[in-house]
Amino acid sequence: MLPSELLAVWKRKGVISPRYAKLSNDDLEVASSLIEAYKSHVGKKKSAVKEFVDEIEEKGYDYRFARGLSFLLDRRSRFKCNDKINSIDLRRKIFHAAARLGLPTTAEQRNRIIEAVATELKVTAETVEEFLYGDLDTELILEEFEPLSPLELLQEYNLSLTQTLLFDSTEVTFTSSDNWQRIFYSVKKLGLIYEAYQDGGFWVKVDGPASLFKLTRRYGTAIAKLLPVIVASQRWTVRAKILWKYTNEICSFTVESWKHAALLRKPKLSTMTFDSTVEEDFATSFQALASGWVLKREPEPVLAGKQVIIPDFSIEREGIKIYVEIIGFWTVEYLLRKIEKLKKVDVEMLVLVNEDLACEKLAKLEQHAGLNIIYYRDKISLAPVLRYLEQAFHEVKAKQTGLIQDLQVVFTEPVVNYEEFAGRIGVSTEAVKAALTEKQPRGYVAMPSELVRNDVLEQVRNRIEQQIDQNGQLCFSEAVRAVEAVGVKDAAIVLEALGYRVIWRGISSEKAEVVRLEKG
Amino acid sequence: MIHLWFDKGTLLLRGEVGTPYGKWDPRVGCYRIKAWHYRDVLSYLKESRLEYHDEVPNLPASESMKDIVELRPYQQEALGKWQRAGMRGILVLPTAAGKTYIALKAMSLLNTQTLVVVPTLDLIDQWQKRVADFLNVDAGAVGGGKANVRMVTISTYDSAYLQAEMLGNKFMFMVFDEVHHLASQGYIQIAEMYIAPYRMGLTATYERSDQRHSLLPPVVGDVVYTARVRELAGHHLSPYTHEKIYVELTPEEQQAYDQDMGIFSDYMREKGIVMKSPEDFHRFIMSTGRDRRAREALLARNRAVKVALNSEAKLALLAKQLEARRDEKTLIFTLHNDLVYKISQRFLIPAVTYQTPREERHEILENFRRGNYSVIVTSQVLDEGVDVPDASLGFMLSGTGSTREYIQRLGRLLRKVEGKHAKLVEIVSKETMEVRMSQRRRRKNGEGA
Repeated sequence: MLPSELLAVWKRKGVISPRYAKLSNDDLEVASSLIEAYKSHVGKKKSAVKEFVDEIEEKGYDYRFARGLSFLLDRRSRFKCNDKINSIDLRRKIFHAAARLGLPTTAEQRNRIIEAVATELKVTAETVEEFLYGDLDTELILEEFEPLSPLELLQEYNLSLTQTLLFDSTEVTFTSSDNWQRIFYSVKKLGLIYEAYQDGGFWVKVDGPASLFKLTRRYGTAIAKLLPVIVASQRWTVRAKILWKYTNEICSFTVESWKHAALLRKPKLSTMTFDSTVEEDFATSFQALASGWVLKREPEPVLAGKQVIIPDFSIEREGIKIYVEIIGFWTVEYLLRKIEKLKKVDVEMLVLVNEDLACEKLAKLEQHAGLNIIYYRDKISLAPVLRYLEQAFHEVKAKQTGLIQDLQVVFTEPVVNYEEFAGRIGVSTEAVKAALTEKQPRGYVAMPSELVRNDVLEQVRNRIEQQIDQNGQLCFSEAVRAVEAVGVKDAAIVLEALGYRVIWRGISSEKAEVVRLEKG
Repeated sequence: MIHLWFDKGTLLLRGEVGTPYGKWDPRVGCYRIKAWHYRDVLSYLKESRLEYHDEVPNLPASESMKDIVELRPYQQEALGKWQRAGMRGILVLPTAAGKTYIALKAMSLLNTQTLVVVPTLDLIDQWQKRVADFLNVDAGAVGGGKANVRMVTISTYDSAYLQAEMLGNKFMFMVFDEVHHLASQGYIQIAEMYIAPYRMGLTATYERSDQRHSLLPPVVGDVVYTARVRELAGHHLSPYTHEKIYVELTPEEQQAYDQDMGIFSDYMREKGIVMKSPEDFHRFIMSTGRDRRAREALLARNRAVKVALNSEAKLALLAKQLEARRDEKTLIFTLHNDLVYKISQRFLIPAVTYQTPREERHEILENFRRGNYSVIVTSQVLDEGVDVPDASLGFMLSGTGSTREYIQRLGRLLRKVEGKHAKLVEIVSKETMEVRMSQRRRRKNGEGA
């Protein structure tokens, strides 16, 4: 993060953005020459390094850019005071001498005092002059410098610039592809408040307690500190409202991974460790089982009202997803809050609770909560978990199938894609397929990935017949084109359903021929 | 049952009731209330005969105070007015009029958990000492790496702002020293995020050029007492005279000044830029990031200003003046640090700037107090608050155009000592923009020219 006077921005029509360093040759060269300057000035005065920065400014670069880079390099440097003479002691001696001998108003009077102190300290008058203020910031000696590559410096600069702009933010809204546990942990630790919602993806809006009353930059610093955790994810989008202090207007600021990830340093986060060995054992032994269920750690968050829960695991099979939350150590109060939150969740959730720590209150809770709870001691045994999963799988599937069959939808479109339809009504694709295959809607034929209307099939048949009649034969690739032309995907299967057979001559579909199966 | 508790600088209220002060917070499903309405909410609940459970205050342990403060008649009057205003309000008194003692007396009267908010770390030390000497309790401190909360705690504005989430429910009385700072954009939130029902603001310079002082009465209380330098000078403050001496730039300086000012004014004329407000100036500064010529114009202006403020002629005059008034307790004020160091090196005078190590600063001030050093040169760090007793002569070699700075610097010389007559000498470069700066600073001060 940079001092705010070094913040360089573009601002136009209510949209604001930092002036990022481009990763161009020019900018890389500036970065590289600064890094070299720091390297070559080890053992020299800070003021000499700063003169070099001034020179870069004079070459016509934005002074905020050169100084911003220098600011970041200072942080990788260690400056020390000269150790020849303690300047504070030296000054004390000089001031006392001046007070004793009378304040010098002429050069001779002054020299007398300097000489007197120099003699006392057994050094030359020049040394006294040199070190009288040898501890001022500009006089410090660059002792150590930890270099980095020019590219890294520019990326560091851009990240710092973004954070500096966020100092003036009043709220931030973001989404991320992963890393949620750490993000929410940081939100909490930074004293921020979030609201999560679905809007073509999972979004989180973050501000602070007092934001309720008025726009405030109070939480800008905390928001800036949150940024590195978000951009450490694979894919992310961050949108902030910036209260621009000079004009008091609210500007919008957007930074997103597909556009900006390469410009920004990606912070390294330590690899995730399991919270407890119980979790780790569970994950390992479950995966070893190869049950057909796919286990995922730290899945995307689940909405519980406006809050979220990040379950420990998600377990998925054929599009049916069940979340698992392990509660190892707890207090009654913690458990109450947790269960209160879990009750708001609208997904299948299995809760595993350590029985050793359970108490009688829990039994009552369980009845009220209507949660699926399995108890364990020491280690989670898989058998009851699998039993639950199987049961839940069939229940969910049956429920979804029933749901679709009860839907009474009247389809009109030529082709109904299962996946797209499943997304629309919020059930698994598998359930849609099962339901629609089992009970085919009137006027449609069920194919592996879609329903096709009868008249569309007729249309396909006519085209193929026409082509065979014209040319005497039809190659497979052309037949597929004919089928796909009406918007149907499962070409091979549609052809088969229409009573054709494909005769392969080699692996090329150009050489494969489509022939009519003789009736009877 | 209604529950009321403190949540990160605000209050949360849960129960089957709303309040006229709160706002429904859908994020947490409770009413959220600004912390400074704490007293109002309680009295609303009481008047409405609602049963409630108050978990808001989290006060440090009580300690007993024993005060030995003797107030002067005008201090007594100021305290009385503040009490009658419901233990809220702002007192405007000149530097050296003993504002601290009024606050100490109020703390002793209220005998409750108190936070004193001050602008600098030095003032924390100073207040801690006063509290120990006059109230006979040890005060805690928050700021500069310390975080020690006690019955009486002293904090910087910075820490009080940054840690409002943690400190907001720990005090019932707040004293804002140099309360004009509280009106700034960030700090005003301190007033809103603390529950303390009793509040006192102290300042010598209430009015701000940006008019934001009008934000203070709602959160601290009205100005209940004002005394000007003129009213107290002679009786409670030392009498003083003010002298302005003009010097001519040396020929080289004059040439450099004219040339650089020329570059600047040519650019401004060419671009048709008129500077009337701080915003105009800021817009110009912002343009220097993109526009190379604008930046050159700005740098030229800065160079010219520096020539005028740091003129060699001023140093020559200073040498004569110092020669003539040896052994008088003298403070030399400048605007920039480089002039401080130039003077310190030329005349071997101890310097105090924000870069001076804290220990050394204490040592220098202590030596000055005892009379071991008779002159100190400083930039802006001693402008406010820190006690520098007994100085009787001041030289203002350079400064901003601000009235506040002028009053504060004058105040450094006015602490009452029998037989003392203070003198403030302003040294101004003739025919430069400094003449106008000097006029501006004395235009609206309370003591009159």
